[in-house]
Amino acid sequence: MKKQQNLLLWKMLYVLIMIGIGYGVYASSKSLSYNWRWERIPQYLISFQPTDIKAPFDGSIESVDPKEHKIVVQSDSGQTFVVTKYDKAIAHTGDLVFEGDTVATIKGWHLGSISWGLVMTLKISAVALVFAMIIGLFTGLARISHNPVLRYLSVTYIEVIRGTPLLVQIFIFYFFIGTVLNLDRFTAGVAALSVFTGAYIAEIIRAGIQSIHPGQMEAARSLGMNYIKAMVYVILPQAFKRTLPPLAGQFINLIKDSSLVSVISITDLTKAGREVVSSTFAPFEVWFTVAILYLVLTGSLSWVIQKLEKRLSASD
Amino acid sequence: MTNPILKDSIIVADSVDKIYPNGCHALKKVSLNIKKGEVVVIIGPSGSGKSTFLRTLNQLETISDGTIHIDDINLTHKETNINKVREEVGMVFQSFNLFPHKTALGNVMLSPMKVLKKSAKEAEAEAKDLMAKVGLADRMNNYPSHLSGGQQQRVAIARALAMSPKIMLFDEPTSALDPEMVGEVLDVMKSLAGGGMTMVVVTHEMGFAREVADRVVFMEDGELVFEETPDRFFESDNQRLQRFLGQVL
Ligand SMILES: Nc1ncnc2c1ncn2[C@@H]1O[C@H](COP(=O)(O)OP(=O)(O)OP(=O)(O)O)[C@@H](O)[C@H]1O
Ligand SMILES: [Mg+2]
Repeated sequence: MKKQQNLLLWKMLYVLIMIGIGYGVYASSKSLSYNWRWERIPQYLISFQPTDIKAPFDGSIESVDPKEHKIVVQSDSGQTFVVTKYDKAIAHTGDLVFEGDTVATIKGWHLGSISWGLVMTLKISAVALVFAMIIGLFTGLARISHNPVLRYLSVTYIEVIRGTPLLVQIFIFYFFIGTVLNLDRFTAGVAALSVFTGAYIAEIIRAGIQSIHPGQMEAARSLGMNYIKAMVYVILPQAFKRTLPPLAGQFINLIKDSSLVSVISITDLTKAGREVVSSTFAPFEVWFTVAILYLVLTGSLSWVIQKLEKRLSASD
Repeated sequence: MTNPILKDSIIVADSVDKIYPNGCHALKKVSLNIKKGEVVVIIGPSGSGKSTFLRTLNQLETISDGTIHIDDINLTHKETNINKVREEVGMVFQSFNLFPHKTALGNVMLSPMKVLKKSAKEAEAEAKDLMAKVGLADRMNNYPSHLSGGQQQRVAIARALAMSPKIMLFDEPTSALDPEMVGEVLDVMKSLAGGGMTMVVVTHEMGFAREVADRVVFMEDGELVFEETPDRFFESDNQRLQRFLGQVL
């Protein structure tokens, strides 16, 4: 009973501290006489503005038929462009149009630029995560291999990558390797992130494998499994379970590190945030929103991994 | 294999030497022939090379010199596929070494499915039979962490048997067990011996040696000092053996 009371007290203290911090933020923004304009943010997440339907070429409006709900655009060279799905016609029959002119508008929602940035961050992180796992797994295995060439190569890779900043690696991938191999921004960004994270995952996996009792490998081999089967069916599943917490940390780092690819003009969440700041002049609101969205991503990932850990703990 | 004595031998170790990378000379010219269906018990003081010798028989340890033939296959020959040999040679460890991420049944089924390519259905049916045979029909879905030591060791025996081996190697299978669980494991081993399995057993259970063994081997300092039938073995007046038995009995 006494213990419980104490716990309640601590919880109350926690809430008080959090309120204090919140008030601190509020008070400091007051002292800056900052004008909060939260209402400017939602449109960059999701927008209900009508979308423009644009003419794909120079030409003229052949017909606007409200009855059949159809707009026909004729190009100077004889092509036609037919719009049947629209809500409001802007052009009239006989109008001259140039490429990119709005012909009609259509209602409905679409994602704002911050949301597109979020999607890009998610995409880059997911693709990089898959490649980083593959690189990490093979490098980790090479690291404990009996073949000295494999061992030296993997150690060199790990040391070089861990000893240089990710930002510099991204520049090297984009400007040097990207130019030599003719990579686009996205590929260069994903490659840099995968190679960077792979080095850390390799060390985690190596430690995980080495933490499995050698008797497990001996038992598997004595049952007639070759090295690869013993690894795949006996060692790696156990090592994976054991390394899940550090791997989760590395995955979360990957999501956060992905913000650095904005330096090579990939419009991820961070770059989208920067763009929105320059068009709204509401930097505090935008950066808080961006931070919360990163938190949502990393938070969901930890949640999924915790579930996975729970499921794997059935054998404990 | 010109020597007629060796004709019905399933294990032929000839002048086996083992020097570990750290320079430890663990086996010195050990020679031993074991016939099909024979149960051989190896005893000897700690560090005498018993485990090392047993582990050379399925090449968990490579040997430095000499030859080992299992079922007429030269283990150290370049073209020998050691994985094929290991399918025929089951091994039971002192520390069980069950796979903790698999249930008892999963442990028994794994190798038949992945190595012998049996279907899950066939492997499961056979695994269930084996689990019943070692007296664990009601514990099949337990994870190893939810089994007692004796139960774990019996699962380990079932797991080795699932590969239908011709030879079973036991390395102190009861040494890690609480005394009250030693009996259940020895019983399984006895019935296995009764079924005609060729067995090589390292153990300190002199009762088992007396009762089940066809031959008892005494090792000391990496040498095979002495081998005899159990009756004559325990009656022997070999000095080194007497000294050892004096210590353990
Ligand atoms: N991996 C190894 N590397 C180096 N030396 C080893 C290794 N394994 C065993 N040895 C040495 O080889 C010798 C024989 O060891 P082994 O384990 O075969 O003895 P044992 O008879 O099984 O002993 P115990 O009854 O304690 O199990 C010992 O001196 C031991 O220290
Ligand atoms: Mg031993």
